[in-house]
Amino acid sequence: MPSGAPTLFLSDLHLSPERPEALRAFHAFAAGPAREAAAVYLLGDVFDWWVGDDQMREPFVARIVESLRGIADAGVPLYIAHGNRDFLMGPRLAAAAGATLVPEYVVLDLHGIRTVLCHGDSLCTDDVDYQAYRARMRNPAMQARLLRLPYFLRRIIARWLQRKSRDMKALKPESIMDVAPDTVAATFRRHDAQRMIHGHTHRPARHEVDVDGARRERYVLADWHDRGRYLAVDEGGANEREIVPQRRP
Amino acid sequence: MVVLKTSHGDIKLALDAENAPATVANFLDYVRGGHYDNTVFHRVIDDFMIQGGGMEPGLKQKPTRAPVANEATNGLKNKKYTVAMARTSDPHSATAQFFINVADNDFLDYKAPSANGWGYCVFGKVVEGQDVVDRIKKVPTGNSGFHQNVPKDDVVIHKAEEVPG
Repeated sequence: MPSGAPTLFLSDLHLSPERPEALRAFHAFAAGPAREAAAVYLLGDVFDWWVGDDQMREPFVARIVESLRGIADAGVPLYIAHGNRDFLMGPRLAAAAGATLVPEYVVLDLHGIRTVLCHGDSLCTDDVDYQAYRARMRNPAMQARLLRLPYFLRRIIARWLQRKSRDMKALKPESIMDVAPDTVAATFRRHDAQRMIHGHTHRPARHEVDVDGARRERYVLADWHDRGRYLAVDEGGANEREIVPQRRP
Repeated sequence: MVVLKTSHGDIKLALDAENAPATVANFLDYVRGGHYDNTVFHRVIDDFMIQGGGMEPGLKQKPTRAPVANEATNGLKNKKYTVAMARTSDPHSATAQFFINVADNDFLDYKAPSANGWGYCVFGKVVEGQDVVDRIKKVPTGNSGFHQNVPKDDVVIHKAEEVPG
């Protein structure tokens, strides 16, 4: 890779056959900018659903894994974090994609700036119901039980959970589905970070936060619902970029 | 006919109600309701199109009504100086935002009844003020927040007005 190449961060692609444009943008990303990067971090919800690594039998998933492999084969380190939709991603996927599955929080030194990465759902602590669900789903015993079910049954459960989540979201006030400022501050403190990069909320922005008298910045990654967008961080700073497979009005 | 009175001059549009009845009715509803007054062309790409009608200066999104069905099967082509409806990746999601092609964009034409192939519905063309369109497409643009190709100085549609054909 060229020196000075940016490190790329993206999340919330929600790839599924129902989102052909996102798929197209993703494949264009994997074949283009990703291969020129210093490293690529996929910070959760790359997939709209993940019911187990045997999902790689689905043709659209096989193509995604192939594109991921292409990034790794180009010599670019590829890291994948779990999101709230694809928390069941496991070692077989990682091996096939040539990627490393990372823990819930990752701390990096990015050009001298201590940066903490996460998907972002753990920051939304005002949503108590969601956090209870999340704790259940992240429990290894629960995951093992889920993964023992036949594939078709897991698929049905995933669809049911998605519908339930949509219904729940419709009933919740907007504010509790965003990050909780206290949790953000605590996360900055715990990791002694100056910068945070996360996704999940689909509210792309750059926020400046004051924690213990120091200015810190929090980047929220964009979802890929309409367009493929990612954050590129190099010595010059962090910039949002868009992957344009073909221009659309 | 509809005249867009912009900060760069008047653009007169002839609408094709025969080939795009639902789209023209939708567009005229927004015109008559004053929706387009004080909106901007917020996305300007010189060799592609100029898009507007959805945001106020400052990139404030305006509320819209229910989307209109995509009539791109009507055979009208996305030729230079035609006007068509903008939308999201869902073919049938056009509301108020429209765009004026400033190049022949045949890849935007209807090809197949799929998300990728449906194309963009042309419903009229610029009959006067093509020079205005040419001026707008040349304005300097940059990034603004999370938007790209945003004119550095607002290109405002002061008023959209129905005029006799």
